[in-house]
Amino acid sequence: MIKKNSLSFRIIKRVLTFTTLMFLLVLSLFYYFARNSIEESARENAIHIADNAVAKIEQELQPMEKIPEVVAGLMEIDPPHEDSLFLLVETILEKNQNVSGAAIAFEPNFFPDKGLYYSPYAYRDGDRIHSFSLGDENYEYFYMDWYLIPKMLDTAYWTEPYYDEGGGEMLMSTYSVPFYMRRDGERVFAGIATVDVSLDWLTETVAEIEIFETGYAFMLSRNGVAVTYPRREFIMNESLFSMAAERDSELLREIGQDMIAGNSQFREHGMNDTGRFWIYYTPLPSSGWSIGVVYPDAEMFAALRSITTLMIILVLGGLIVLTILTVQIVNRISAPLSQFSNSARLVAEGNFDVKLPKIRKTLELRELHDAFSHMQEELAEYVVNLKETTAAKEKIESELRIAREIQLAMIPHSFPPYPDLPQVDLYAVLRSAREVGGDLYDFFVVDQDKFVFAIGDVSGKGVPASLFMAVTRTLLRTIADKEQSPSKIMAALNKSLSFNNESNMFVTFFLGVMNLKTGQLSYVNAGHNPPVLISKTKETKMFEPAKTIPLGLYEEFEYPEHSMTLEPGDKLFSYTDGVTEAENVRDDLFDEDRMLKVLEENKDKSPKDLINVMMHAIEAHVQDHPQSDDITMMTVSFKGLDHGNTQNKADE
Amino acid sequence: MNVSSEKVQDYLVINVEGRLDTTQSDSFEKQVMEMLTGDDKKVILDCEGLNYISSSGLRVFLIMQKKMAAEGGELRLCNLQPSIKEIFDMSGFSMIFTIHDDRDAALNA
Repeated sequence: MIKKNSLSFRIIKRVLTFTTLMFLLVLSLFYYFARNSIEESARENAIHIADNAVAKIEQELQPMEKIPEVVAGLMEIDPPHEDSLFLLVETILEKNQNVSGAAIAFEPNFFPDKGLYYSPYAYRDGDRIHSFSLGDENYEYFYMDWYLIPKMLDTAYWTEPYYDEGGGEMLMSTYSVPFYMRRDGERVFAGIATVDVSLDWLTETVAEIEIFETGYAFMLSRNGVAVTYPRREFIMNESLFSMAAERDSELLREIGQDMIAGNSQFREHGMNDTGRFWIYYTPLPSSGWSIGVVYPDAEMFAALRSITTLMIILVLGGLIVLTILTVQIVNRISAPLSQFSNSARLVAEGNFDVKLPKIRKTLELRELHDAFSHMQEELAEYVVNLKETTAAKEKIESELRIAREIQLAMIPHSFPPYPDLPQVDLYAVLRSAREVGGDLYDFFVVDQDKFVFAIGDVSGKGVPASLFMAVTRTLLRTIADKEQSPSKIMAALNKSLSFNNESNMFVTFFLGVMNLKTGQLSYVNAGHNPPVLISKTKETKMFEPAKTIPLGLYEEFEYPEHSMTLEPGDKLFSYTDGVTEAENVRDDLFDEDRMLKVLEENKDKSPKDLINVMMHAIEAHVQDHPQSDDITMMTVSFKGLDHGNTQNKADE
Repeated sequence: MNVSSEKVQDYLVINVEGRLDTTQSDSFEKQVMEMLTGDDKKVILDCEGLNYISSSGLRVFLIMQKKMAAEGGELRLCNLQPSIKEIFDMSGFSMIFTIHDDRDAALNA
């Protein structure tokens, strides 16, 4: 099934639209030019037919015309005796088979002894020829058209056709020629010489003209009466004007007028009973009658129509074949494409061995096939590599996670740490970033009343940092067993860490030793963020920056020791730069000011609560931004001697 | 992070710009170690464009310092932004490094 957006549909749509338009254009042009040429040849043919017919008719009529003209000449130059005229007209009929009657009609009383009427007239009765003198009180011939019109016009004249009611019901026309005679030395009009001619042959001649199946020729008299017509009942009964009136056709009336005016033209005839018609008409020079040749449009263009129909059928057939071929070609191309997309889907699901469609011929598809199979191989290889890498990475990550767990296990995390030491309260937290970091804190009691606590941050991240941190923490415990003063502990720690420290890693470190009896705090800061002293009586304030280098750089470096005395209730908040440099999405640091503000606002809280509040504040600041560094905080609270003494007394 | 070097008088001046955090420090170390061929005994590290430095970055500075010292040369720092200077002060690195306010001071010291 062809879908609307499919390649085949779109190609077929375009190809078909284009070819259809092309065919329509070619067909229209062909039809237009062919029609014009057919029209032109029909015109030429019509002219030819009509002219032929005219020539043929003229050829028949002209010898007829000669007869009365010769008689007229004879009468003027050397007139026979009036009584021998009967013989003359009889002779005319004898000599001319086509003439059915001939008369030499004289003016009234032209021969006084002959009376009012004198008109020797010969006619045929079967094979015999009779003659008599025309005219009596019932037939006053000198008032008849055939006599009067040529007399008045002084010219030869063919009468309107008429039916000879006397002899044989023939269609007749009379050719009349006026003649003159000498009388008393003067040339006077003497009468009219005529021949009657049967027009039946004319009807036949015109009827013989065949034009296609239903085309025909006809002839009109000067009055527009049908002299010949395919329908016999129209002859002498209908004129073109009566037909026009009957059909209410202005065009037909106009054609009739043009025909009797003696013009020639090829034109559209308008609608007839059986469709459109074309007509050519031209006059007969002698009689002024007009012959018309009628061409049925349907037959004139029948060949063109059948050729056009055939062409349309061929074109439609061609289009259907073209469509089928296009669909096949497109399908042959697109079938592999949809197979490719199936394969691609399977490949995407991880099935790299999926079979590709076989492409034999099409170059482009073969290239696609090769590219696809190359991709398949590469993907398979890539995935194998990826699996190995991932496995390796997972192994490393799980090892790192274990390392991290071990590392975190090294620092104390049970709180409160010393339920039996009421002088001190402590809470610490180390929240690691995704990657293993190097933060550490530690605390322990030495000699019952010396509380040692430390916080540090190893440079860099990852396994090296965590290893360095583990070493630092282990060394601290070892050294603190032997040394008492912070500066000595630090010096020893530094010496050990600096020894053969090729990697140049270092650890910022704050170490404090609190005398639980006196509240005296000795501390050393090796490049670490200065802790904050939170006191009930004093402003919350940071220690002075250490301005001493971190541990692990120079073996012989001496770290200065400072000391101060804590008031009962004083707290010491220490942290790593993961706190102050906690970033949000806009790269804003949490910074020291925010930290100090939180500390000031929560100065009465216990170490645990204080650190939780601080952690919430950091989280509120950072929001969804991933944590980039370990966050470590430790708060040591000195509860004071009284508290401890009270506790001791209570124990006693 | 961007590192470039130029020769000014008989000093090799290394300009470092941008953030020198943990992820960048390895690349920074590699680049500056290529610049410190041992031929230049006087090196100035111009930190005018440096706006953040992590402990890993400090470590690279330290490595440079030790290398120069081992070769009998001298490393000077200049144009530290206040936040960077604060870190140097806090971590005690100000003690280890020779730090000048600006490049002229570093060149003429």
